[in-house]
Amino acid sequence: MAGRLLSGCGRAAAVPRALPAAPGLCPRRGCGEAAALRAMGFSEEQARRLLGLQPRLGPQRREAAAAQLLLLGLSAEAALGLLERSPRLLRMPTEQLQERAGELRRLGLDGGQLQRAVSRCPQLFTLPRRRMAAAVRLLRERCLFTAEQLREVLGTCPAVLLEEPRLLHHHFQYAYFRMGVQQKEMVKARLFRMPFAELRNRHIFLERRGLYQTPHKGQTQTSNPKLKDILQLPEKDFLASLAHSTPEEYEVFKKLLAREEKEEEGEEEDRDVLYAEEDEDVDSKGSKRAQE
Amino acid sequence: MGVGGMAATAPRIPATRLALHHFDMSYSLQLKDLWPSVRLGLLCEQKYGALLNNFSPVDHVTQELELLNATDFVSEAPRKAQRWQRGATAEEAGRGESRAQEGSGEGRTVMRAETMTQAEMSPPLRASISSNIKCYTFPRGDITRFRPARPDSLGLLDYYLMDAASLLPVLALDVQPDDFVLDLCAAPGGKTLALLQTGVCGHLAANDVSLSRTKRLYHILHSYVPKEIRETVSVTSYDGRDWGQLGGGTFHKVLVDVPCTTDRHSVMEEDNNIFHKRRTKERQMLPMLQLQLLMAGILATKPGGEVVYSTCSLSPLQNEHVIERAVEIAETEFNISIHVEDLSHFRTLFQDTFSFFSDCRLGELVLPHLTANFGPMYFCKLRRMRGTVKAMPLSSHG
Repeated sequence: MAGRLLSGCGRAAAVPRALPAAPGLCPRRGCGEAAALRAMGFSEEQARRLLGLQPRLGPQRREAAAAQLLLLGLSAEAALGLLERSPRLLRMPTEQLQERAGELRRLGLDGGQLQRAVSRCPQLFTLPRRRMAAAVRLLRERCLFTAEQLREVLGTCPAVLLEEPRLLHHHFQYAYFRMGVQQKEMVKARLFRMPFAELRNRHIFLERRGLYQTPHKGQTQTSNPKLKDILQLPEKDFLASLAHSTPEEYEVFKKLLAREEKEEEGEEEDRDVLYAEEDEDVDSKGSKRAQE
Repeated sequence: MGVGGMAATAPRIPATRLALHHFDMSYSLQLKDLWPSVRLGLLCEQKYGALLNNFSPVDHVTQELELLNATDFVSEAPRKAQRWQRGATAEEAGRGESRAQEGSGEGRTVMRAETMTQAEMSPPLRASISSNIKCYTFPRGDITRFRPARPDSLGLLDYYLMDAASLLPVLALDVQPDDFVLDLCAAPGGKTLALLQTGVCGHLAANDVSLSRTKRLYHILHSYVPKEIRETVSVTSYDGRDWGQLGGGTFHKVLVDVPCTTDRHSVMEEDNNIFHKRRTKERQMLPMLQLQLLMAGILATKPGGEVVYSTCSLSPLQNEHVIERAVEIAETEFNISIHVEDLSHFRTLFQDTFSFFSDCRLGELVLPHLTANFGPMYFCKLRRMRGTVKAMPLSSHG
């Protein structure tokens, strides 16, 4: 990319560390932009990279987007990296970026958390408002996480907001009903960090081996392994110390379970076709609404 | 939303759950560290073997199966055993010993002869080579399913899908040419079919007390066996316990594949489940029924003849205990001396295909395990000694 920039400006090529020009633009204009960026705290190299993104974009947008990210507390390199991974951000109006940052703050994501969250998930900015609101509503009103718990969930698993609410709900319900885990433990264990399929594999593996039991109604004490251990142990350690099994056995199990799932889905689809005539608003939890 | 069984409480506990709970209590004590893997195996899809129909042209089928990477475990096992033995022999030769009394590693557990002739082979090795039984299975860890059986130009099906472990009792029986064979609890007929596949039964009596299950037996015979062979089979519906009175001492080989708690079926299928509350009495009476059937089988055997007892349960109460009681009763009440045959060679021979329990007091037990999800299958071979109890010492598994 640097080569392309340099070749557009003969004079620049002669001086290796000269300011690059955006292709087709006067080097002098490029110099002006770069200067502005450097004033914001970007190095020459960083400024050059930044100018290379979406070259036809007006300088104000570029500077404004960069400024917003810096305001969030991101370092110059982090901000640049984010923009390189998600050039869409550059095209967002500044107000939108600001607003979204504000919303995320109101949800409880503070400086460091917010930085990490957006660095890990740039889509947090581009996510449609409705989707984000639906996810938040789901977590608060249906999953009944407290505001404090929600804050922690967002801090540790920001991608939760990007999930389709229906799937998010399914993920939660599985942990709550099927595994008998309360919200507090879900938060501590960082439930949403692990993809649902992997959680299901590990849980059912333990369950069929007789090492995990869904608690009965009212049963508070169980001898089940902690959700934290189930989720956070690397596979090798999970198998050795929790499941007391071998990778070979687990590999076969995953294949068998995947096949079971597929065949069950096939049966359910047939059933859904049969019941398609019924009232659509069957689910009392209003999952249909959550799909907005 | 597709997540079943959440937050809904069933009105009564399913029989499958009762069965699983029952097994958790008893088998964890018996199998200890092995139980979690066995439990997992029981709760996942079982593995099948394809018993080839020797009465139907088999070549294109064997080709087809081999292309899919399946192998005939029955003929494969002796080949492997020969290789192990040759390997062990080569090692010994290398060490400059011409005839070693102590082989190394696996060679020792298989046999001691340097050269392999039929006469020198262990009985199970010889049996599996000469049995004509061919059963294809996919390798360890391979969960591929077989396509359904297809009819040939004569309308006979090309193979019969079954739990491959079910063949082990039949192989252990080691039917010899022209033997009179009794299959005391023959229905639904998988093992009966396997007996016929040996091609050497002089006459086969296939009995089952249940008329409805006997119907399935007929169906299998008609689907797989040509008329002239079917005519050598007599199908009856007596209560197997009465067989001793009907004609004692007439068979060379007797298979007693008794009704049992069918452990795998009991944890997976609600239908026809012996753990239903209403069948508690029936279930508790099983060991008694099994003992009576085994006694009848023993009485039906000629002196010098052999009986194989088998179940598809892990329970020692239905397995070793029944054998021990039968041996005792045969001696004390019928003056019949029974020798329990050593089948440990089977474990070695078929270790690549099945997962065997190494701690059976008597007989052998195939354990379900995900990498080889066959079984449970318990089998034990008894020989009815010639002469009377006083003449022969009572032997036990050694």
